[in-house]
Amino acid sequence: MTDLVDRQKLSYIAAQAADARLNVELETEGMTLNIGPQHPATHGTLRIIVRLDGEQVVWADPSAGYMHRGYEKLTEVRTFPQVTSLINRIDWLGSFANEVPFILAAEKLMGVEAPPRAQWIRTILFELSRIANVSLFLGDLGVQLGAITPVFMAFRDREYVLNLIESATGGRFHPNFDRIGGLKDDLPKGWILETRQVMKKLRNFCDEIENLLFGNAIFQIRTRGIGIIPKEVALQYGLSGANLRASGVDWDLRRDQKIPLAYDKIDFKVWTHPDGDSFARCWIRLQETREATLIVDKLLDGLPAGPVMAKVPRIIKVPEGEAYVSTENPLGEMGYYVVSQGDLGPFRVKIRTASFNNISIVPWVLRGVFVPDVITILASLYFILGDIDK
Amino acid sequence: MGLVDKGRMPKPLTHLFNLGRSYSLWVYQWGLACCAIEMGAAFGSPRYDVMRLGVIPLPASPRQADLVVVSGTVTDKMAPAIKRLYEQMPEPKYVISMGSCANCGGPYWDSYSVTKGVDQIIPVDVYVPGCPPRPEALLEGVVLLQQRIKNEDMGARWRGEGTKNLVKHPIVVGGGPVE
Amino acid sequence: MVQLSDAVATASTPEPLALPGDGLRERVVQQLRDVLGEGLVDSLVKPGDDVWVRVRPEAWRAAGFALRDVVGCQHFSFLSAIDWMPSPFGRGEDDPTAPPPERSTEVRHGYTGGDARFQVFARVTNLVEHFGVTIKADVPAGENGDLVVDSWLSVYAGANWHEREAHEMFGIRFAGHPDLRNMYLPTEFEGHPLRKDFPLLARMVKPWPGIVDVEPLPGGDDPNDGTTSGTTSGTTGDTEEGGE
Repeated sequence: MTDLVDRQKLSYIAAQAADARLNVELETEGMTLNIGPQHPATHGTLRIIVRLDGEQVVWADPSAGYMHRGYEKLTEVRTFPQVTSLINRIDWLGSFANEVPFILAAEKLMGVEAPPRAQWIRTILFELSRIANVSLFLGDLGVQLGAITPVFMAFRDREYVLNLIESATGGRFHPNFDRIGGLKDDLPKGWILETRQVMKKLRNFCDEIENLLFGNAIFQIRTRGIGIIPKEVALQYGLSGANLRASGVDWDLRRDQKIPLAYDKIDFKVWTHPDGDSFARCWIRLQETREATLIVDKLLDGLPAGPVMAKVPRIIKVPEGEAYVSTENPLGEMGYYVVSQGDLGPFRVKIRTASFNNISIVPWVLRGVFVPDVITILASLYFILGDIDK
Repeated sequence: MGLVDKGRMPKPLTHLFNLGRSYSLWVYQWGLACCAIEMGAAFGSPRYDVMRLGVIPLPASPRQADLVVVSGTVTDKMAPAIKRLYEQMPEPKYVISMGSCANCGGPYWDSYSVTKGVDQIIPVDVYVPGCPPRPEALLEGVVLLQQRIKNEDMGARWRGEGTKNLVKHPIVVGGGPVE
Repeated sequence: MVQLSDAVATASTPEPLALPGDGLRERVVQQLRDVLGEGLVDSLVKPGDDVWVRVRPEAWRAAGFALRDVVGCQHFSFLSAIDWMPSPFGRGEDDPTAPPPERSTEVRHGYTGGDARFQVFARVTNLVEHFGVTIKADVPAGENGDLVVDSWLSVYAGANWHEREAHEMFGIRFAGHPDLRNMYLPTEFEGHPLRKDFPLLARMVKPWPGIVDVEPLPGGDDPNDGTTSGTTSGTTGDTEEGGE
């Protein structure tokens, strides 16, 4: 592992030498290709500058910042309850999941714990936002490879999940439902029954996608053996979530840490794949979506009764201290390092987002691949711009 | 075309042209943030199906588009790119600003890196408020824009004068009748 | 295990740090002390929860290697910095027409203390034994005010972007980093936004609407809470107790 950087340097030097030799032989110059910032092949506004030698990428440099909104500064001028409405919008596809680690960090500093029912509902909504997030990834995956149909199916079935979130929280996209000490409200009547039906539909959706996309020969050729990330490199770059598990690292924060959510009360599978290529990353996400629907079903079975809000003062003042809480968000490990100095608002919040680390590996993984594979590798790494740029 | 430029169009012909233009809008999707997903749901999902309104959401480039939907947070770093792509669109061109961020900066009103409204860069025809607006709201914005196009003096718009009135008479979804 | 029974006896003391803890995190501190010696300044262990260590600025990179190779924290989580000076602008809610109020700019450090205004901190995780370590180091200002600390690029390759971000946001230079370009902001942007003395101009030019926005709470105030109705919008109504 110590020779990792050396290996990287060597491969870079070799690539440069090959580039130079080719240029001398053929009297050609390398070509610089700009993708983005607004480009159909990028989700959101990531700009990538790649230097090409023929069809091969010699060097790639992602240029982020087109969606930088300054979250870490803005949290310093807002109170704790105000922050949750802001951080919904970091990873905008799984917005409820963004609130949970921040609320948990604030609760940890205050020494408050949400009642069991609130924890279970939090976990259910957390998994629903995972389904809403990753189902769009599965649809979008087809578009990146030239298949239009899956995205329509994804938008169709995602609506059911959004309806569930809306009927429970009142917000279709950005619920802002989590409160320090519990939840804003209890679940509406009939919600549990409806959720079970929707979960069945979503499992059907997963089967459809698996048949349509993952069994497709073109899809397999375009993704298998492409963009391989070995385990050591993945750890060094701090990859997390499905990207890490696709490289064979058995690490899931839902299972592997003590956290006041209901994950330790139920039994679920954590999927890993030994290959580390684009196909593995996509396949893990498909399995996780299916697993999430099963988790929701199991949580609904054991949902305890009781209040959904603990006793907290009306004006929230968080005692002095520091806490880091991270959860397994749809994109990977999302954590908040909250520093409080006993004020109404946080003193400093470091937001550790999953996509930032997941995309920082792009210069490494794109070196030497062919141009069409750039798009599939980016798609399989799965980022959301708000999650990179904060 | 001389007739159109000089603004000496017979009324029935203007009506016919405007009708045609309002029901064949090619939309360039400028998806930036959360609103882009709701725009995707409005334009690309079977439930909302924007094509029934006579809107075609898939032009190959801004040079073929009549309408651009700016949906999401506009940052100072992004602003030059938006300006440039807007200038590449042929006249007459229309802009829908979708979501609070594109309207006025939204929840990032005090941020150091966010442009406080896309109307500081390009003229905006229709504002769709919401954070993010529902797909239905965007569809209503499209319908309101079509109403404006139907009542338009084509000559003025062709000469690029139509945008002067936008500041005085903005269309806001849910904000009253169209002038 | 003898110590555990002591722990029961001393559990009533107000200092929870005196507990012998879970063994795991104490071992981390001990291992780091063995490697770094004087380089380790301070540490804080919350048993079963988390561990913080602070090292000397010279030992920052050595501490990284020790964490990776000795403690076994192979997963790099994040690296960032913190400005401990309280903001001279408060939360940006002053009336712009009135003279600015006096605010203390006395530096108050968090866990494991500190000597300088700026600190870098990072977090790494041990995926085998399931714990994370937060490590901090002061960044003392040089003669002409520049802040320099060693880069972690050779320790964790993923530190690359995090150091670019910290350089842009705080103006800390990472010695050994080849490419400290701006990550987010345009190159012509002036200032370092996450420094506490960087003002948010939009808040400076118009009065904060929360000052005048005092809405009566639904259902009235609960006198037992000892709190008054909020003067800041957003705290009102949001945090009602309830659930029954």
